[in-house]
Amino acid sequence: MRRSWVRQLPVNVAAVVVLVATVFPVYWMVVTAFKPTTDINAATPQLLPLHPTLGHFRDAIGVDGFWRYWRNSALVSVSAVVLALVIGLMSAFAVARMRWRGRKGFVLMVFIAQMAPWEALLIPMFIIARDVGMLDKLSMLTLIYFVATLPFTIVTLRGFLAAVPPELEEAAQLDGASRFEAFRRIVFPLLAPGLMSTSLFGFITAWNEFAFANALIIKDQGNRTLPVWLSSFSNVFGTDWGATMAASTLFMLPVLAIFLVLQRRVTGGIVAGAVKG
Amino acid sequence: MLTDAPPRPRPAAARTARQSRRAPRVAGAWPYLLVLPTVAGVVLLLVYPLVRSLVISVQHFRIGELIRGGAPFVGLDNYRELVGSAEFWQVIARTLVWTVVNVVLIMVISTAVALMLARLGRRMRLAVMSGLVLAWAVPVLAATTVFQWLFQSRLGVVNWLLTSVGLDQFEGFAWFADGAATFTILVVLVVWQSVPFAALTLYAGLTTVPDELFESARIDGANARQTFRLVTFPMLRPLFGLITSLEIIWVFKCFAQIWAVSQGGPSGATTTLPVYAFQVAQSLHKYDLGAAISTFTVVLLLVVLVPHLRHLYRNEGAQA
Amino acid sequence: MKLRLVAAPAVLALACSLAACDSGGDAPSASGSPEPAALTVWFMKDSFSDDIVSTFESDFEAAHPGTTLDIQIQEWDGIGQRVTSALASKDAPDVIEVGNTQVAEYAASGGVVDLSDKVDDLGGSDWIPGLAEPGKIDGKQYGIPWYAANRVVIYNKDLFSVAGITAPPTTRAAWIDDTTKLNAGGNQGIYLPGQNWYTLAGFVWDEGGDLAAQDGGTWKGTLDTPEALAGMAFYKQLQALGQGPKDSDEANPPQADVFATGKVAQIISSPGGAVAITKANPKLEGKLGFFPIPGKEAGTPGAVFTGGSDLVIPEASQHQELAYEVVKALAGEDFQTAMAPVMSYVPNKTSYASVLAGNEGASAMAVGAANGHATPNSPNWAAVEAKNVIKEYQTKALTGSDAAGDAAAASQQITEILNTDS
Repeated sequence: MRRSWVRQLPVNVAAVVVLVATVFPVYWMVVTAFKPTTDINAATPQLLPLHPTLGHFRDAIGVDGFWRYWRNSALVSVSAVVLALVIGLMSAFAVARMRWRGRKGFVLMVFIAQMAPWEALLIPMFIIARDVGMLDKLSMLTLIYFVATLPFTIVTLRGFLAAVPPELEEAAQLDGASRFEAFRRIVFPLLAPGLMSTSLFGFITAWNEFAFANALIIKDQGNRTLPVWLSSFSNVFGTDWGATMAASTLFMLPVLAIFLVLQRRVTGGIVAGAVKG
Repeated sequence: MLTDAPPRPRPAAARTARQSRRAPRVAGAWPYLLVLPTVAGVVLLLVYPLVRSLVISVQHFRIGELIRGGAPFVGLDNYRELVGSAEFWQVIARTLVWTVVNVVLIMVISTAVALMLARLGRRMRLAVMSGLVLAWAVPVLAATTVFQWLFQSRLGVVNWLLTSVGLDQFEGFAWFADGAATFTILVVLVVWQSVPFAALTLYAGLTTVPDELFESARIDGANARQTFRLVTFPMLRPLFGLITSLEIIWVFKCFAQIWAVSQGGPSGATTTLPVYAFQVAQSLHKYDLGAAISTFTVVLLLVVLVPHLRHLYRNEGAQA
Repeated sequence: MKLRLVAAPAVLALACSLAACDSGGDAPSASGSPEPAALTVWFMKDSFSDDIVSTFESDFEAAHPGTTLDIQIQEWDGIGQRVTSALASKDAPDVIEVGNTQVAEYAASGGVVDLSDKVDDLGGSDWIPGLAEPGKIDGKQYGIPWYAANRVVIYNKDLFSVAGITAPPTTRAAWIDDTTKLNAGGNQGIYLPGQNWYTLAGFVWDEGGDLAAQDGGTWKGTLDTPEALAGMAFYKQLQALGQGPKDSDEANPPQADVFATGKVAQIISSPGGAVAITKANPKLEGKLGFFPIPGKEAGTPGAVFTGGSDLVIPEASQHQELAYEVVKALAGEDFQTAMAPVMSYVPNKTSYASVLAGNEGASAMAVGAANGHATPNSPNWAAVEAKNVIKEYQTKALTGSDAAGDAAAASQQITEILNTDS
């Protein structure tokens, strides 16, 4: 089966091109973050950080409130994801395992909700938040991110649930376990990887979100999130591309970490859902 | 999942009979209780804002009304103003071009990358997949910032590269001053961000196609193109459908990247529908017109995706 | 002093107990002065040096025991949206700094407290009109004049002497000659970003043109008149004598930071920009000079845009009486006379102007102020700014080949925006 080296050459060249194209922007960001400013401003860009420095990271972290914004973002994202997982799992279970009148309508609603153009709802959302006294509140952001990620969560979790044979549960129930117990003991462990990978998408959506965070946090600026802070970078750091890139790197890190752990399961889950459906 | 899809339209009696036959699957109020929080969330934070938006779109609702309240009803005036404005139709056309260009590029490149991954040796494949994951993991705003830095006119590495291969006209070239150039950069950015998800998913799908199918295609003397057309694509059609729909939604709704890079400029060259709605509402304080644009956005998305939704809906029937 | 120190804890305790049971109103307390509260104040980025801001904060807090000021610095990007959201909210910042080209729109929106009955208390008869007029709608005063400034040329004295230039230029021709000389040896003659539209406006006014003209009730954008095109042509000539990005404005990157590298001979800025420069690079202290933007002929300074800020109190402020105390302090003699020489700003009253005597930046500014202009007086003008109409026109004219065509398109856009009813 081993193909000859010559026949493989074009594919490998293509692979290198793809690799460079995908990695270079990220590489350039990280490298710039480690270069001293004089090297960044040099007429001939250097591909390697010849004089690596942590100065830009110190600048970025040293900016007033960095950790606070970081913490806000993490808090909002994680809460939204946990909420979406719990409530999404309930719905996914109802859709995948139960028969009831209105099920198709519900699924259609979920599909349509998945397409919702959220940015178009900024103004009504602002008015609603104002009228119920939820402006400047991280909890309002959490709720919005929760609903924004919920449809996707339901669709993927349902795919994972469908992959678990119902017979397993039925067998447990025959052995005298209650339905909930059967789910908890048999299905849930099998579902855990699916839950983790689904949470990734929710986390990224929430971690990235800018428009609502920008529009709904007005007076209490201690409640800002990282993306809003990052967007005001050109103002905060001025010409300091080093600090800007350092901050972007720090912004990327948590997502990257979770990603590396979960990536394979995510694509697997989507394929499972789509091919089966 | 199960094969006993009932004939449509199903007689009510038949359904009852079947349900009673599978009694454990009927759980009374339970399913409704389980989906209740979802329905409540969607109604309160999606349907209700949409209704509010619809109401605003038939009012005279500007900065004064936002602050003081008491917006008067003006019927379809806002819609009339929109439909009568040449700019609006330009934006619609641009949005369609934007969506088509991006989605086609994303699908073509992703398919090519997925097929390539399947043919690579183990190590190279791992390297490329890691690269894809890396690009995928970069948050939208960070990626946007990086691309601005790459294409910066004085110190940007892209201009340096182009100049050093002899294209002197790129010395200090201001990418973000030119409409077509800015549009191109945004396409590159969005494609760069979207390909990893599509390519990795397609590749994962490819690995589920039984080897025997490729084997027999080869024995039948099919070349690579025929194999793709006759074996790979038909097997992965649902997956292609799903990914294409997802990409259409994501590209069409794409806002943060465009806003951060160009705010829809220069001279509106990158103003797509979501950007336009934001501009009209937030910069010009014409919340009523912005709401009318939102209505158009929702309707347009629904129309574009009706085939997909119908497919999904029909599958629901087959699955139940 | 001692007395106050002793009294403070008691007052503080009282304030806390009051705040705890306070239901959010701003009813005056028994003594007639407003109850202490935590106030939020919005200043714009780079309006004042950190020193001035923190001194004001501690002075005000000392004079109003129990009250705390949270002074938040706002970015210019997207400020229209943020101020509107704040005005529309139920718990707005208590005092907001608003640019004098934008105050009319907010005043007309109904979200800002009418301060007409305070004008006498503030000595409003002496206010400079460039700030008082935009803050006034239908005879009611909503915006309280705060400070004004117009643009001058800030130059690097070292680079001027190296280039052998002994006296700053006073005509456009001499200015171009000098700048050409300075634009050598790795230095930039002038750092002029392509989208510095206030500067373009000045050149257009120099030629006798304008940004827009009102005829009867209707507005018309006038960037495509021969006068306005001549202004743009000069802008292009000057802009080429340095490496200012053609597709960006003076805030991105902040031009003070660029100048602070020491390799830029001139920038066009309000004299207060010098504070940001020396903050970024303390070595430039004492090496900064100022001269009025040269006009077409010696003896006539170049036309300038009179910029500045007003202060407004949102209707949604929970502490309007205390907010007024803040406004009064910021618009009052102590603050005005203290900040004007440091920031090289024109104070809000003509009678305070004497504090600027001997201030190099301010005297350059005063020369230019004699030829001061304003943007078209329409509540819709803010929308022209928000849509970046002029900025994008500048970039096109600088990078393209059909300035007249671009100007006609931009004028058309201005016409449309100014003639929409809000």
